[in-house]
Amino acid sequence: MRNFISTIILAFSASFIFAQDVTIKGVISDADYPLIGAVVNVETLGIGTTTDIDGSYELTVPMGTEVEVSYLGYQSQTFVIDSDQVLDVLMVADSQVLDELVVVAYGNQKRSEISGAVGTITAEEIKETPILRMEQALQGRSAGVTVTQNSGSPGSALSVRIRGIGTLQDSNPLYVVDGVIVEGIDFLSPNDVASVSVLKDAASAAAYGARAANGVVLITTKSGAKVSTSSISYEGYYGVQSAQQEIDLLNANEYAVIWNEAYINSGIVPETNLQNTTIFGEGNNWQSSLFENAPMQNHQITINGGQDGFSYGLSGSLFEQQGIVGNEKSGYERQTARLIADFKPKSYLKLNANIGLTNINNRGIIENNQFAAPVVFALNMDPLTPVTKPDGTFAYSDFVDTDIRNPLGALATTFDETSANRIVGSVGATLNLTDHISVRSTYSIDVNHLNQKFFIPTFNLSVDEFDAPVQEINRINTVGFNNNRFRNWQWDNFLLYDREFEDHKLNIMVGTSAIEGSQYFNGGANTDLPSNDPDDAFIGNTIATIESQSTYEGINESAFFSYIGQAQYTFLDRYNAVFTFRRDGSSKFGPNNRYGNFFAASGSWNIDRESFFNVDWVSSLKLRASWGQNGNDRIGLYSFTSVVLGGQNYTFGTDQSITNGSVAPTLANPDLKWETVTQTNVGVDAEFWEGRLSLVADYYIKDTDDMLYLAPILTVAGAAAPFQNIGKVRNSGFEFSSQYRNRIGEFTYDIGGNISFVSNEVIDLAGGDPTISGNIFGGATSRTDVGHPIASFYGYVTDGIFQDQSEVTAHAFQNENTAPGDIRFADLNMDGIIDENDQTFIGNPTPDITYGFNTRLGYGDFDLSLFFQGVQGNEVYNAWVRYDKIGGNRPASILDRWTGPGTSNFEPKVGVTDPNNNARISDRFIEDGSFLKLRNVQLGYNFSNFLDRWNIQKFRVYLSGQNLYTWTNYSGFDPEVGATGSLDLGIDRGFYPASRTILGGVQLTF
Amino acid sequence: MNIKLNLLRSSIGILALCCLASCSDDFLQKDPVIGQVEENFYKSESDAIAAVNAAYAALQFELTPAGHFRWFWGDIMSDDSSKGGEGDNDQFLLKQLEEFQGPTNTEYLQAEWEADYEGIYRANIVLERVPPIDMNAELKARILAEARFIRAYFHYNLTTLFGNVPLVDRVLSPEEYSIAQSNSDELLDFIESDLLLAIDDLSLRSEYSSEDIGRITKGAARGLLAKTYAYRNKWQEAKGILDDLIASNQYMLESDFSFIFTEAGENCAESIFEIQYMNASGGNWGRNNANEGTFSNVFQRARGQFEGFGFNIPSQDLVDEFFDAAGNEDPRLVSTVFRVGDEMGDRGIFTKDATGNQPHDYYTKKTFNRKDEEAPFGDTAPNGGSNDRVIRYADMLLLFAEAAYHTGDEAAAIDAVNQVRARVGLGELPGLSGASLLDRIYKERRIELAMEGHRFIDLVRTGRAADVLGPLGYQEGIHNFLPIPDLEINKSNGVYQQNPGY
Repeated sequence: MRNFISTIILAFSASFIFAQDVTIKGVISDADYPLIGAVVNVETLGIGTTTDIDGSYELTVPMGTEVEVSYLGYQSQTFVIDSDQVLDVLMVADSQVLDELVVVAYGNQKRSEISGAVGTITAEEIKETPILRMEQALQGRSAGVTVTQNSGSPGSALSVRIRGIGTLQDSNPLYVVDGVIVEGIDFLSPNDVASVSVLKDAASAAAYGARAANGVVLITTKSGAKVSTSSISYEGYYGVQSAQQEIDLLNANEYAVIWNEAYINSGIVPETNLQNTTIFGEGNNWQSSLFENAPMQNHQITINGGQDGFSYGLSGSLFEQQGIVGNEKSGYERQTARLIADFKPKSYLKLNANIGLTNINNRGIIENNQFAAPVVFALNMDPLTPVTKPDGTFAYSDFVDTDIRNPLGALATTFDETSANRIVGSVGATLNLTDHISVRSTYSIDVNHLNQKFFIPTFNLSVDEFDAPVQEINRINTVGFNNNRFRNWQWDNFLLYDREFEDHKLNIMVGTSAIEGSQYFNGGANTDLPSNDPDDAFIGNTIATIESQSTYEGINESAFFSYIGQAQYTFLDRYNAVFTFRRDGSSKFGPNNRYGNFFAASGSWNIDRESFFNVDWVSSLKLRASWGQNGNDRIGLYSFTSVVLGGQNYTFGTDQSITNGSVAPTLANPDLKWETVTQTNVGVDAEFWEGRLSLVADYYIKDTDDMLYLAPILTVAGAAAPFQNIGKVRNSGFEFSSQYRNRIGEFTYDIGGNISFVSNEVIDLAGGDPTISGNIFGGATSRTDVGHPIASFYGYVTDGIFQDQSEVTAHAFQNENTAPGDIRFADLNMDGIIDENDQTFIGNPTPDITYGFNTRLGYGDFDLSLFFQGVQGNEVYNAWVRYDKIGGNRPASILDRWTGPGTSNFEPKVGVTDPNNNARISDRFIEDGSFLKLRNVQLGYNFSNFLDRWNIQKFRVYLSGQNLYTWTNYSGFDPEVGATGSLDLGIDRGFYPASRTILGGVQLTF
Repeated sequence: MNIKLNLLRSSIGILALCCLASCSDDFLQKDPVIGQVEENFYKSESDAIAAVNAAYAALQFELTPAGHFRWFWGDIMSDDSSKGGEGDNDQFLLKQLEEFQGPTNTEYLQAEWEADYEGIYRANIVLERVPPIDMNAELKARILAEARFIRAYFHYNLTTLFGNVPLVDRVLSPEEYSIAQSNSDELLDFIESDLLLAIDDLSLRSEYSSEDIGRITKGAARGLLAKTYAYRNKWQEAKGILDDLIASNQYMLESDFSFIFTEAGENCAESIFEIQYMNASGGNWGRNNANEGTFSNVFQRARGQFEGFGFNIPSQDLVDEFFDAAGNEDPRLVSTVFRVGDEMGDRGIFTKDATGNQPHDYYTKKTFNRKDEEAPFGDTAPNGGSNDRVIRYADMLLLFAEAAYHTGDEAAAIDAVNQVRARVGLGELPGLSGASLLDRIYKERRIELAMEGHRFIDLVRTGRAADVLGPLGYQEGIHNFLPIPDLEINKSNGVYQQNPGY
C-alpha cells in the first residue's frame, strides 16, 4: 500500500501488454537442492508463479518481458524472455539477507539504509507459535521489547514496554495498523499479519511526534497476491489448556496443626473442632477443585489473488478459548472478517481499500484482587471445607472469616460479559504528478462498540438462613450494563518527492495528519429484580423501586492535527541520513501549549561498501547513530482546565431528598504540555560468512523530561492536584540480537536470540514527594523516588527471628508485645526504635535483562522449533497469602515455622494476633522474579509427496506445546507478574495463572 | 508525460494539501460535555445553591483518601471504646492510634486533613464566587453564612485535633499553597469571628421550610461557638451564647432517649447540628462521590449474621460508668450498648456465635440501623442512612452546666444537669458543690453522650486526659494533638512544624 516506489515503476510498464505470449519452465535450485516456493514473476504485470516441491515452475508471459526470480535469502535474478524456453536458475545466497524492505513510519525502507533502531518480526515467526493475541507475537522476538502476560485469563491484555518505562502514565506503545493509529491490537487475527516493525529509537518514531514516546509498533497486514495466482488456505488448531502447577499449601491435618498452635500461641482456646489434628487427612485441595482443563481452537480461511493491476485478500477467522478457571465463565471468542484490495485503474493512480470487522465476546471473572478473586479464595480457603454440602449446594467455611469465599460458589454467581464490535477500515489513493512527485491521501475510520453486561444474583450458602458468613450471602440481586462507542477518524495527506540521480537518492515527504476521536458512553444499573435468572437480567425487568435505577451518559472528544516532514538522503549507496520534523497540536492541552515541535536526525554508514573495506568473512557492516525527540500525551482530556461537576450532593429536607452540589474537583494547570523523550541511539548491523551469522547491537539513552506527573501539592489547596510537567526519568541499555543459519545436507538449522539490558532510574522529581503505589492489604508496596527505578518495592528489612527474650530486649524497640518467634526488623537508622523511618528500597520489579532465543531445525519433511524466553534481575512481591485473615490456608513452607529457640530463622511463629506486625510490607515477601520459560515447542510435518495429485500447494500438520516448563525460584504460580497499572508492577495478588497448552494444527493451501 | 495532465493532477493534489494545512484552531478546541469550565459557572442563584451544597457534601466525606469518622478520634482514642474489628491486624493503624503509638504518616490522619481542607476550599469558593451573583439578597446572605459555618467547622476539627494548622480564609493561588501554620489561638479567634458573622445571617431552625431541614441554623452556629469558647475556657462567653441558644426556643429534649438515635429521630426536636446521610444506593468512599450513605452503620455493627465489621467496641470501663455504687443501671445504657442476649433490631439476637465467634462482649447501639431501613443495594456491606448527630440539645445543656459552674452559678449548673437526668427518669442530683459537682457534670456528660464522638476532645479540653488516658499510653503535651501528617510536612519543605513529641 505504502509502496509508492513500485507504483512509479508500474507507470513504465503499460506498453508491453499486447505483445505475443511465450512460455518458460524449469527448475530453480541452489548449489545443493531445489528451492520450494521460489517466486517467478513479472512485477510490472502482476503475473507470476511459485516453484513446487521439486523446485519446478511453468509460466506464460508476453514476449520480451523481464522476469524476476526471487527467493528469501538469495539474490534475485532477472531475465528478459524472448521465446519459449527452459530456464533453470541457480540461485546464489544473498550476502545481504538483511536487505529486505522494512516498514517504517509512513513508508518502507531498505534494511541497509535504515539508520535508526527498528526491530522486525516476520509472519513466519508469528506463525511459529499459535498466539492468542497479537501482542504475544512481540514476546521475546525483538531486543528491547518486553511483553508481559498480566493474566492467564483468555483475552486478557498483555503489557508491552519498549526500552523500559519512561513515564508515570500509560507506558504502552503507539500501535499503527496499516497506517491507522489504533487503540490496542486485540481486534487482529494474528494470521492476518504480514509483518511487525518496532520503532524503538526516537528518530525512527519521530514521525509520530507527540504520541511516540513509548515507541511505536507498526503492523502490516497481509495484502493480496503480487502475481496472477490465487490461493485458498486453511489454518486451524485445536488444543487443551491445563494449569501449569499447583502451589504447595497445607493439607487438612497440617492446617489443623498450624491453627491450633496459632490459637495457643496467642493465648486463645483453639476451636474445638480443630483440636484433634490427625483426623482430617489431606482434606480438600481447592486448587484442583478450581482448575479445569479448557479447550481452545482457531480456524481461519484466507483467499488471496491478483491479476492485471488488481489484487485482493479475503479472510475470516474464528477463535475460541475457555479458561482454566471457570471454563466458559472466563471464555473468549473472537471472529474476524477482513477484505483488502489494491487497484491500479490508471498508470498514474493507485487505490487501496481495506476493511476489517471484529466481534469479540469476553466473559470475565475477578482476578488479581486480594479481596475478591476466585484464585485468591482457592489459595486461602481452608482445606477442611468441602466444595459442596451433602445436599449438593456450595459449602461455606466455618474457619475463615470475611473476604474468603467458596471460589466455585463465587464463580457460579459471576455473570459478566463484554462484547466488542469493531470496524477498522481505510481507503487511500496515490496519484503520480510527475515521475518524481506524487500525492497520497488516506482516510480511515475505527469504530468500536463495547457493551458490558453484568448480573450479580442473590445467593445464600446458609443451611439455615443466617449461618453462612456475610460474604456468602447476597440478598439483593443487581444488574447493570456499560456501553462505550469509540469513534475515530484519521485523514493523512502527503506530498512525496522521490528521485535517484547519479550517486544520490532523495526521498522527501511533507504532509498533514488530522485525527478526531470521540467516546460516547452510557450505562445503567438496577437492583432487586423479581427474577434471579441471568437470562431475565435487564434493568427494566422490575416492577418497583425505580429509584434504585442509576443511569449515566456522556461523551469525551479529542482532536489532533499534525504537520509532518521527512527527508531521506543516500549518497553512494553507503551514506544515509534522515531528518524528521513534526509539529503536533492536541486538544488535550490548553491554548498556552497546544502545539509542540519534534525533531530527529539519524545517519548510517555501510562500511562494507567502501572500497578500502576488504574483509572476506564480513559480508556487511553498518554503523548507525540517531538522535530525536518524541512526546507523550497519555493523560485524560481537559486536564489543563478546571471543570465544575455536579454530583457533589447533599441530603436536605424532612423527606431526605438528594440535592445537587457542584464544584471543580481538580485544580487547573493551563500551562500543561506533553512530556518529552529525548533519545540517542548508536548501533551496528553486521553479517558474516555470507549472511550465515548476523548481529545487531544497539546502545541507547532515553531521557524523559517534563514528565506528566500528578505531583502531590499541599492539601491546603483544597482540591485535587492538576497534572504538572515535573521530573525526569532515564532509561538506558544495550540490546543485541543475533542469528546463525546453516544446512548440513538435508538438515537445516537456524539459531537466533536476543538480549537486552535496561536500567531505569528516576533522576528528578523537582523536589516533589515520591509517589506511593501498589496497595495491598497491609499497606503500599511500591514507591517512585529519585535515584531508584520506577515503582520500586519499599518496606522493612527483616533480620531473622528473635530466638529468645534476650534478643528481643537487645534489639531496637518494635512493639511492647514483641516476643521470641517474631521477626526482627533491621533498625536502619539506628535510633533504637523500629518505625517507618526504618523502611528502605527492597526490590525492583523491572527486569535488568530480558531475553529470548529460538531454534528451528528442518530435516526432510520434518521441522521442529523451540522458543525460550526469560527475564533476569527483577523481584516479585508475593501478596497472595492473606496473612490478615485468621483461619486462612497458608503455604506449606509455614511448617518450618519458629517453635522455639533455634527452630527457624525465617518463618516466624504462628499466631491469630500479630502484635509485632510480622505481615508488614517487608523483604520477607520479596522474591526473585527471574525466569526462563520454554514458551513453545512445535513439531511439524509437510506432506510433500501427493500434493500434485490433489492440486495442493501445501499441507502441513503440527503438534505444539506452550508454556511447557518454567525455570524459576519463585514460590507462587508464575513469576511472570505483569503490570496492573503504570505504577503497579510485579505484585502478585493471586492472578489468573497462565495455562499450559497442548495443541495440534493443520495448514493447508490450495 | 502530458504537461496538461500533469498540471491538472498537480493542482488537484496541491489543492487537497492546502485545504488540510489551513485546519483551524477550532478543530483542536474541545470543551467538556459533562460539567462546565469554571469561567462559565457561578452566574445564577441555582449556581450559588449548588456551590454551597458542594461544601455541605464535604461534611459527608468518610474513609480515605479524604474523610473521617468522628468516632475514630472521639471514641476509639478515648477510654470509651477500643478499635474492635477482626483481630489486631484489621486496621492496625487504628490500633496504634488507640494506643497512642501511631506513626505520623497514617492514612487516617491524612484523610482527616484532606477532608477538612477540601471543605474549607469549597466554602471559600462560595464566599468568593457567590457575592457577585445577581440574586435574592437575603438568600445570598444566608448562603454566605452557611459557608462561613462550614469553614469554621472544618477549622474547628483541624485545630482541636492537630493544634497549629494553616488558616485558609480564601481560595489560595498556587504561590500561596505553602502558607505557614497559624497558632491555635489565631485559629480559634478566626473560628469565633466566622461564627459570629454567620449567626447574624443564618435562619432559625423554625424559619427553614421542610425541604431545607438539614441546613445550618443560627442554633448550629451558636452551638459550635459555645464549643469553641468551652475549648478555650472562655466560660463567660460560652454561657452567654448558650443563654441565647436556650432562649431561642428552637430546641427541647426529646422525651424518649432512645428515639434520638433511630431513623425517625433524625433532625428531631433535640437536634442542633446533624450531618445528613440517607440510605441511597451505592458506596460513599471518600471524596468526590455523589452518594449519600454512611459507613458508620456497617463498620460499627457486629460481624457474622449482623453483616457488619464490628469496629468501635464499647469498653467495660464505659459500661461500668452506667452503674452507681449500689449497682443500679442507668436507663441510658440499654440505648447505648448491645449486650449478649440483646435483640439487635430485626437482625436477630446477639450471641457471640452469631457474630462469627468474635470475642467482643459489647457493640455500640447509637449507630445501629435496622435491616429494613437499608436501601436495597445488592451489596453485602451496604451503606447506612444514619445522620451523624454532631450537636444535640443535651450536649448544650451539659455544656451550659459547665459554663454556669465556672462562672459561679452552681444552681443553674445543677438545674441543667437535672433537666438531662429527668428526661430519662433519673432523680435530681444530690446537693453537690465545687469539684464534686464538676466531676458529676463530667460523669453525666460521659454517660449521656457516650459513643457519640465527643469523649476524647472533652477529656483534653477539661485537662483530664492525662489522668484518664495515661494508662492507655496518653502523654500530656504530646497526645492532646495528633501529629501533623508526615506527608504534609514533607510537601511543605520545612514550612510546617511537627507537633511537639512526634
